[in-house]
This record gives sequence, structure tokens and C-alpha cells, in this order.
Amino acid sequence: MYQSNRMWASASFVGVLIIIGMPLWWKTTEVYRVSLPYEKISSFKPLSHFVTTELKVLANDDATASKIVSEIQKAFAESDIIKIKIEKTVMSERQQHILRSVVDMEKAVEELASTLDLDQENIFHVVQKKSLSHNIWVGNERIMFFDDEKASETIVKALDGWIYQTSVLRGSRSDTPDQARSTRFPPESAYHITLSIVHPRPDTMKVVWNAAEAVEDYIGSFVDELSSLHNFTLKSQWLHLLDFDFQAREVKEVSEWGRHFAVRQDRLSLLLTRLEERAATHVSELSTINLALYIVPCDKAPIIIYDNEGRKNPLSIQAFMSPKWGGVVIASPPAEQCSQQVREFEPSVGQIMGAFVSHLRELLGITKKDAIEGAHLEPSRSVSPRRWEVDALLRIRTLEQVTSAERTLQSLAQLLEEISNIVINDEVGASIAAAVSELEAGAGEGAGADAARAGRAHAHAQRAFTHPGLLALLYFPDDQKYAIYIPLFLPIMFPVVLSLRILLLWFMGKPVHKEKTD
Amino acid sequence: MAFTNLMLVFIFNLLYLSLSSGIEIPEEFQKSNHTNNWAVLVDTSRFWFNYRHVANVLSIYRSVKRLGIPDSQIILMISDDMACNPRNPRPATIFNSAHEQINVYGDDVEVDYRGYEVSVENFIRLLTGRVPPDTPRSKQLLTDEGSNILIYLTGHGGDGFLKFQDSEEVTSQELADALEQMWQKKRYNEIFFIIDTCQASSMYEKFYSPNILATASSLVGEDSLSHHVDSAIGVYIIDRYTYYVLEFLENVHPNSQRTMSEFLAVCPKSACLSTVGVRKDLFHRDPSKVPITDFFGSVRPVILTTDPINIVETPKRKKKTENKTKIQVKRDYVPQFPMHLVQVT
Repeated sequence: MYQSNRMWASASFVGVLIIIGMPLWWKTTEVYRVSLPYEKISSFKPLSHFVTTELKVLANDDATASKIVSEIQKAFAESDIIKIKIEKTVMSERQQHILRSVVDMEKAVEELASTLDLDQENIFHVVQKKSLSHNIWVGNERIMFFDDEKASETIVKALDGWIYQTSVLRGSRSDTPDQARSTRFPPESAYHITLSIVHPRPDTMKVVWNAAEAVEDYIGSFVDELSSLHNFTLKSQWLHLLDFDFQAREVKEVSEWGRHFAVRQDRLSLLLTRLEERAATHVSELSTINLALYIVPCDKAPIIIYDNEGRKNPLSIQAFMSPKWGGVVIASPPAEQCSQQVREFEPSVGQIMGAFVSHLRELLGITKKDAIEGAHLEPSRSVSPRRWEVDALLRIRTLEQVTSAERTLQSLAQLLEEISNIVINDEVGASIAAAVSELEAGAGEGAGADAARAGRAHAHAQRAFTHPGLLALLYFPDDQKYAIYIPLFLPIMFPVVLSLRILLLWFMGKPVHKEKTD
Repeated sequence: MAFTNLMLVFIFNLLYLSLSSGIEIPEEFQKSNHTNNWAVLVDTSRFWFNYRHVANVLSIYRSVKRLGIPDSQIILMISDDMACNPRNPRPATIFNSAHEQINVYGDDVEVDYRGYEVSVENFIRLLTGRVPPDTPRSKQLLTDEGSNILIYLTGHGGDGFLKFQDSEEVTSQELADALEQMWQKKRYNEIFFIIDTCQASSMYEKFYSPNILATASSLVGEDSLSHHVDSAIGVYIIDRYTYYVLEFLENVHPNSQRTMSEFLAVCPKSACLSTVGVRKDLFHRDPSKVPITDFFGSVRPVILTTDPINIVETPKRKKKTENKTKIQVKRDYVPQFPMHLVQVT
């Protein structure tokens, strides 16, 4: 009887500790991990995305149109990065009349705009206009004029290099960054643009410049065109008494000054360091594009930048930009102002803002266009970017954000699978699910309307990856978890496990102790 | 006959290929493709008797600043309790040699994480980028895929861990995981990892991400020793490894041609008394062909503007009309004394 009491006591120990306790301990020490769509994430192929666009070819007769269309189709058939839907039409009598009668290209575009819809995004028109001075002509609107079917090769080159920028598209999708991606700011939903006017010697010269108005009008008009991609906050500030030693070499010459100061290009990066000390660009959590106007004091004027090969910068405006940082314009006052008693310098707003806008274009992703033989690209004479440049930028940013979102999700999934004891809380799970659903809804194909979807996917993926909660417990590695519990429970489990053998024997009815037999 | 000819041709080809094949790595793999430089300098210890660790870090900070990395790209984490310590006979200064020639604290030091903010959690958050949303930009490591990062750690360490602020530790596995997460998020191009503690090489043994070159002041089982005492201040003032590193860096200027392999050999056992450890299997370039300015100097590309926009007509931005009518708010003082509660007869 006592034996059965003892056995039941041992059995209850075994029951509580091993049958109830162990699973309870396992359940309560497991790490909270929201389930993630691992299969969907691993099925993403970042390098398979492409953009789609539409092209309309209009010619005087069907033969020319067919020839041009077939040439373009042949050139872009192999392309895995862009799929073009080409539509060909023969021009109506009215359109042909307009093109014959109007000689000025801009006016021709204006007149044609009534018959074609040039404001629709992502649709480009290739229109025949006889007796052009070059093979093709491209302006600010979504239209390209070509002379005749002999221009087909030039058309293909212009479409590849200027309009669709397939090399930049490829660079935005690739693993390693290309030149364009290293220059432009990484994709974000909003930026700050700060215009700083640097005036080292305010006691010697008065500078007349309305910074707020300049920023608002020039930069504001420029960024309004890109409002579908990013939000911009425009700021301006004056930095007085910020001096920088250019280590310029005086060069005598025949001019109103009699001299100029030569500054080497490799010295300019130190100016950026000096500007960063005072420009207070870290006040917000968004990236800041810094535009600085440096007013040279009279005794150091005029400054001319010499490049690394020792060649003088021939332009009337001395400016430079630094990738992913911003741009600087160095303005020297004219000689007659410096010779007066009361010096007043009014820098030319249009010229300086023109330099800043060209910096902004590159920093936001509108790349320089290389010259193509036989093709004429009308130089931009307004602050706004060309319509087709905005289309191209939308395509580039869409592709960049989609591939970046997919790569981020894939590396996050890999990390979370590898390090099995990171806590995945609800917010991270929700962000990942949102990003995956945006990507599955076809953010990858097309542009324009899907730029918004790509932006959201990218933002969700970034938020998931950089969520501060992925570090909350400074996750305990498994060996540390066991190192805590084993010294606590092993001594208790020892006699319980040992008594299991005796318990089993008793349950099976066998004699517990070996009976002595004579 | 034809067969022997074939064999001869084959053997000749083999010989030719083996003699001319890549002992020399082609030039394009040697050139670095980084676009900016960052430095993360951490002193993990506090209290007066660990003066030498702060002097270590600040000396590296001064060298790195002198060679061009701007403050906005240096993250300095020190406990900052030396310069104004009541036991400091030279207040507001920190020296790195008994001659007391250079005040490495100076008046323009920018400390990003000070005091108790130097913790394991903040360090790992800084590296992985998982900072709380209200962290200012100067406290974030805003690197990208083209950044070369110099990471310098000093303090008290042991086999597999580094002690932070005398109360917690970071293990080598956590550090390796943090660097792997940086690699996955493309937050660095190359990392040069220097650690000056006891048994320092145990901290880099667990690294598994590519493009990391690591060096440590001592191997597992060895102690890293300090260099000399300043009897006027009363504590050890600098560690041996960092002392010889600084001696080397004094001769480096922004256009220097010195290479990383010279840096890695900077402290022989006779000088350091502990063996300097190096880990180069994760680094794909040959250190003897990598200039030291790839990590200690700063690249800031500058592109001259050759085609400014010629703006013909002045643009005018369409102003959004704001219909905010300003209501005049009348303000006055709260009564100084609650007269309404006092019976005035």
C-alpha cells in the first residue's frame, strides 16, 4: 500500500513536471513571431521587372510609317527592360497641312497639340515633318519630328538614349549602382531643398538678393512638375561670416579686373565640408538637397575654377555639384561695383538659378543627354523639365523602388529565417504584408499610375526592415536561453527521470525490486 | 604521331597559361568604387582609470578629421567623463602623450553619443539602422552602398565579448550578425574594422559578411597593453597599439601613397608586446594595393557644371491662396491675487 502511494506520488511528479511543465515552458519561452509570406517573398525576381510604354508613329504615308514601326520594333524586340506598344497612323490632311505650312518647330507643336493629345502621360509621338534641317528634332513636349524613313536609325538611337534611357533603366534595376544612381538622391517620399547664401564679408559689401522669392519662383516651379513623385519643402537662409580659403592662385590677365584667381577643382570638396558645419541641414529627418551661393569678397574676386587637367572653366557662371549632396554657385562681383565707396552687388538671378536648376535636375534623376549625330535636341529654356523627361523619371523611379522593395523583403525574410529568435511583432508583419500585396498587385509593370504603388511598396518595405522593434529584446540566442534554464531545472529533473524506470515496472505489474530467492 | 603532336600542343598551352595566369589581379579589381567615407569611433569604457581609452578614440578622431572626413560623417561614441572629471588636473583637456602637446579634446569635438547613451543597444541600432523614429540625423549612420566605413572600438574585452560601460557586453556573434544585416541592406561598400582591447581578435572571428578587413591589437589569450603613464595626470595615457598607429598616421596626408598592408604591419610584437591579428579572407582586394586614404581619407566627388539652364522668362509660381483670417486674440495677465475670494468691505 505504501508502495502504491509512493508510486502515485512519483507518477504525479512525472505528470506535472514532464507532461504539463515541459510543454508549458516551451510555449511560454517561444519568441513571438508573426507568420510571414515567405514563399511569396522568395518567388520575387527583382531582375525580371520591366516598364511598359506607348508610342504613336504618324507619317505622311503608310509605307514610311510601316518602315519606321518595323525598325523600332526590331530594335526594341530584345529589350527586357522596356516593352513598347507601337501604334501607327497615317496623318490626316489637316495635320499634314499644318506641318507643311508652319516652319517654326515650337509653333508646329502648338498647332498639332490640338489634334493630338500631348498631355497624356507615358505616350510619346513620332511625327513626320518634311524638310527638317536635321534628321530628327526633339523639343519640350512629348513629340519628335523626323524627316523621312532614312532617319529611322537616328530615331531608334534617340528613343534609346534620350526618351527611354534604357541604360539608366537598366542601372536602376541592377544590383550594383551605375553612374546615374550614384548621382541622384535615393528615392524618398519627400525632400528638403535649402538655398544658402554664403556672405563671408558682410561689412565690406551689400548683397541684394531676395532668396525667398528666388527659391519660391524658380525652384518652386521646377518641383511642382515633380509633385507626383516627391513632396518638397523649400527653405532659404543667409550664412554670414562663413569664410573659406580657396588657396587660389592669382593670374594676371587683360580684363576689367586685370587678374583672376584660379581655384583647383580638388580644393572644392573642402568647401562642402565647411558649408556643412554651418548650413544646419540636419534639422529634419528628411534628406536635404543643399544649394549654396557663395559671394566672393572684392579682394578675392573674380574666382575661376580650373578642372583637374588644368583647364579654365570658360563659362560666365562658376558652378559645381556634388552627387547626393547638392550644388554650389560661386558668384564674383563686377569690377565697377568693387571700385566704388559703397559696394552693392546684385547677382543675376536668372543665371544663378539656371545653374541651380541644372544641379537639381541631375540630383533628382534627370540625366544629361549625350549628343546623337543627326538629331537635334532643343535646349531647355524654361525652369520646368521636359514632359518626356518627367515620364522617363517616373519610369526610372518606379523600377528602382520596385526592385529595391523586393530586394529588401528578400533579405529581410532571409535574415528572419536565419536568426530564428528575433521577435517579429505585429507592425513589422503588417508592413511586410502591405508591401507584398502592393508588389503583387502589379507595381512592377507599367509606369505613371503605378509609380504611386511602387512608392508605397518601397516605403512599406523600408519601414519593415528598419523597424526599431526588430531589436527590442536584443534577441536571446538559443544557447543563452538554455544556459539560464538548465541549471534551474536539471537538478529537479534528475530524480524524476530516474524514477521513471521504477514507475514503468510498477505500472506493468512486474515486481519492483528483485526478490531475493534462495 | 598526330597524337604526340596534340599532346605537345596541350602541354605547351598548359605551361603558357600557368606562367602567365593571374598572379597579378587585374587593375580594375584593385581600384575602389566607393563614393563616400564614414567613421564609427567607439569607446566602450568609462571612469577615470580608463583615461587611455578615450585618448585612443579621440586621437583617431583627430587623425580622421585631419585627413578629410567631415564631422557629419563621423559617429563618435564616448562616455565623455574625462575632460570635466573632478580628478582631471588639466580640466577640459585630454592628452594622448606624456609630453601633453596635443589636446585631443579641443573645442570643436562633436560627440554624437555620450555618457550612458553608449550602450550595446544603441551601438547595434546605429549599425543596423533600426533607430527610433525621432533620432536626429547626426546620430544616424546614413551610409549607402558606396560607403567605406572605418569602425574603431576600444575598451575592455575578453574572449568573444566586449564590455560596454562596465555593465553589459556585446558578443562577437551579435557584432557579426549586425554587420551581416548591414550587408543585406547594402549599407556599406567596404569596412575596415580596428579593435584595440584585450583578446581583441576574438571579436572578428565570427564575421561572415564580405568586404570586411579586420585588425586587432591582440590575439585570443593575449592582453593588450598600455604604453606609458603621465605622472602629472596620474593614469596611463595611451595604449600601445594605438600609439604606434598614431605614429604611422602622423606621416599620412590626404595625397598619401601608403597602403593598407603597411598599416596592418604597423606594430610588430617587439613594440606592441601582443601580436597584432589581421583577418583578410573576407576582403576581396589585395591590401598591399589598397591606399590608406580609401578608409582614412574622404572621397567627395565634385562635378563642374558645363550646361546651366538658360532661363528666358522669369517663372512665377502659382501661389495657393490662403484664406486665413487672423483673429486678434486678446491676452492679459491672470489676476495676481484671487481678489474675488476676499471680502472687500
